[in-house]
Amino acid sequence: MGDAQTPHREYIIEATDLRKSFGGVVALGGASLAVRPGTIHALVGENGAGKSTALGAIAGRLQVDSGSISIAGHDTTRITPRAAQALGVAAIYQELTIVPGLSACANVHLGHTPIRGGFLEESTMRRRFKDVCARVGVSIPPDARAGDLSVADQQMLEIMRALESRAQIILLDEPTSSLVQAERENLFRIMRDLQSDGVTMVLVSHNLAEVLAISDEITVFRNGLTVTTATSDQWTRDGLLEAMLGRAAPDLLASHRATQPVNARDFVRIEDLHVPGILEGISTEARHGEILGIAGLVGSGRTTLLRALGGLEPSARGRLLINGTRVRWPRSARQARRLGFALVPEDRKGQGLLMHMTSRENVGISSLRAFSLAGFVRRRKMTREVREAVKTFALDTSRLEQPVRNLSGGNQQKVLLARWQLAKPKVLLADEPTRGIDVGAKASILASLRDFANDGATVIVVSSELEELTVLADRVVVLAHGRLVDDFRAGTDGVSADRMLSAAFAE
Amino acid sequence: MTTKPDTAPDAVAVEPSAPEVERDTPRARRVVKLALRYGMVWALIVLVIVSVYVYPTFLTVANLRNMWSQNAALGIISVGMTLVIIGGGFDLSVGSVYGLGAVAYATLSSQSLGVDLLIVVLIGAAAGLVNGLIITRMKVNPFIATLATSSVFLGIAYVWSKNGPVSVQPGFGGLGLGTIAGMPISGLITVVVFLAGGIMLSRTIFGQGIYAVGGSAEAARLAGLRVSLVRCATYVIVGALAAFAGSIDTSRLGTAQADQGQTLPLLAITVVILGGTALMGGEGAMWRTVVGLLIVGILTNLFDSLAINTAVQLLVQGAVLVVAVSFDNLVRSAPLGRRKS
Repeated sequence: MGDAQTPHREYIIEATDLRKSFGGVVALGGASLAVRPGTIHALVGENGAGKSTALGAIAGRLQVDSGSISIAGHDTTRITPRAAQALGVAAIYQELTIVPGLSACANVHLGHTPIRGGFLEESTMRRRFKDVCARVGVSIPPDARAGDLSVADQQMLEIMRALESRAQIILLDEPTSSLVQAERENLFRIMRDLQSDGVTMVLVSHNLAEVLAISDEITVFRNGLTVTTATSDQWTRDGLLEAMLGRAAPDLLASHRATQPVNARDFVRIEDLHVPGILEGISTEARHGEILGIAGLVGSGRTTLLRALGGLEPSARGRLLINGTRVRWPRSARQARRLGFALVPEDRKGQGLLMHMTSRENVGISSLRAFSLAGFVRRRKMTREVREAVKTFALDTSRLEQPVRNLSGGNQQKVLLARWQLAKPKVLLADEPTRGIDVGAKASILASLRDFANDGATVIVVSSELEELTVLADRVVVLAHGRLVDDFRAGTDGVSADRMLSAAFAE
Repeated sequence: MTTKPDTAPDAVAVEPSAPEVERDTPRARRVVKLALRYGMVWALIVLVIVSVYVYPTFLTVANLRNMWSQNAALGIISVGMTLVIIGGGFDLSVGSVYGLGAVAYATLSSQSLGVDLLIVVLIGAAAGLVNGLIITRMKVNPFIATLATSSVFLGIAYVWSKNGPVSVQPGFGGLGLGTIAGMPISGLITVVVFLAGGIMLSRTIFGQGIYAVGGSAEAARLAGLRVSLVRCATYVIVGALAAFAGSIDTSRLGTAQADQGQTLPLLAITVVILGGTALMGGEGAMWRTVVGLLIVGILTNLFDSLAINTAVQLLVQGAVLVVAVSFDNLVRSAPLGRRKS
């Protein structure tokens, strides 16, 4: 397979001195990369280090300002995604590239649809869809509208699309960030199969344990430059971290557990919460200064629980008590805000941030009343307080006046958290707060969640990263199929990933 | 759901998608879902029943044949408009291109019919290509681009027709007036155009490209589709069809006037949206446009036969469009499927 294309070439992908900036922000400042055929090559680095930009340039998603790229001997510096595919390159992107209105089956075949005489071969499409589903170990109805599927299923569709294209080079940008453990392992099994068929893969991932386990070679990016490339057996986790950060690594998984005794009085009490079709009779509580973790598989109802508290599930029924006083269940985001709930959604770009507005405006938007006098925004006061708020998040204040869409994922999340830091919610609801965020920023985001709790707020966190909940949560509830199946405290029971997993998979 | 750790991936994948919705959706909600999805079909059935009741001659052969040929031009344009709207675009210039086609057909009616029609269709396609290029190359918003070209095309049609009606030469009326086995030729052509458009949209790679481009242009680009080409092609098709529709009506009416199609863009968009095709693109179907066309056609027929004046007709037309679009929003925001856990 692919031998004709790669006759004893030492490198199948060669990128030299790539430079690219977005609106004055340098994403790549002269990065170089060489990938050997038939290997799994990982790119690691902090957010904004340039990994995804480099991958995008190779796939033709974006074009570099200068530098050169070649794939299997062809100059592909100014290639389009279509031309890259013709060369046998498939890409799986961090941003989900699924067409929501098309069926799952059509999405998998998009770009290389089987046709005969100009007409789609529906039966072939279905058969191949079933086959590739079986191969990746999922069962998605072929006619399901892709936009109605979960993020994880959409991610699987993208992976299936790359497999279907029979590409010789597959570029994977954070393919596992929305997948649960079993799906990740499945993906890695497939990657090893592909490798034995001679397929070359380039993987961008924040999960260093994964990277060390699966890849043959690892290239470290820092500030738009490639620092080093070495075979995986020469790397250790700490070594990678040090190369990524350019300094000794902070202890990422240092405990972020409560330093102060948690106020024993419960603050938020949920009784018998129902959301038709999704949640059935959830009862739990969270205390002042406590971090409550919610674990469970994708589809277990975790996100819905947070959304219900955030006022975004109008069909939610249940009793809600705040400090022992019964309140009406919030039916809109505005009502939820009045009660002191603030939601940091998983989909930061779509639901959290106003992408075209500046960071300053995004931070200040929920506290405008505090800066205003008779309806007029006092700009100076706003700027001052926003600066103060972002300081705690190590966000560069010179970036405040730039549109928030120019920031990296980690910095965008910091902007969202700074917004609530300023608005001082009583309950902070965070959905996958570190999804797609690199290690350096991850640690500071976990620390800031703890800060919210230390300031007296109640923090409720949904996360697929079980290790994260292990170090962060004072208490964990596990959901499965819309029911609460386990509930335990860090202090007395010990929070362990094993216990969360077995509860999540138990029937 | 029987979930054991070893079958976990299946359970994980299946749960948030369709089966879960099916399992837990109460019957009442499923009925609502069906009612919304096929809402306009029910509306059409009600409209037919009402028409039969208030207008006894509604179901006569003469009336049906009349309706069929009167709506041929609108139907043909709506086929093209369906493609453009599903592809995420919009075309306000179809009325002017229709006028251009009408004037061209009347002016040219001297050579053979086939050559005439070919030239008319090419003129329409060229006008569509201009729209397509302005939208895809110069990145002008389709609304503004076609609003502007609409004015340009109308101007050309005025100049060409010397600001007056152009009569069709004898022998060129068959297209609009002729019948085959009692059925109007123009009506039969409309059916053929609908069938061809429907098959192209649902069964070909180009049709799938239209859905993909309209649903998410960036996703389509990254999947290797030629987004600009697909977009541009929808404008070329609607242009060709609009000019063709112009010649059919000219043939039927015997004269052509440059500005005779100025209400068509609004009507064609109403037809498409009324059927339930998404205004924002990416979703819809050709059968929906058939439903929309029948509703608009029957409404117009009803008004004409009841001798309701034009002012009221315009008023109702506008109101129907507003209702259709708000209904479109309602259907799309209704919790028909669960997006996430």
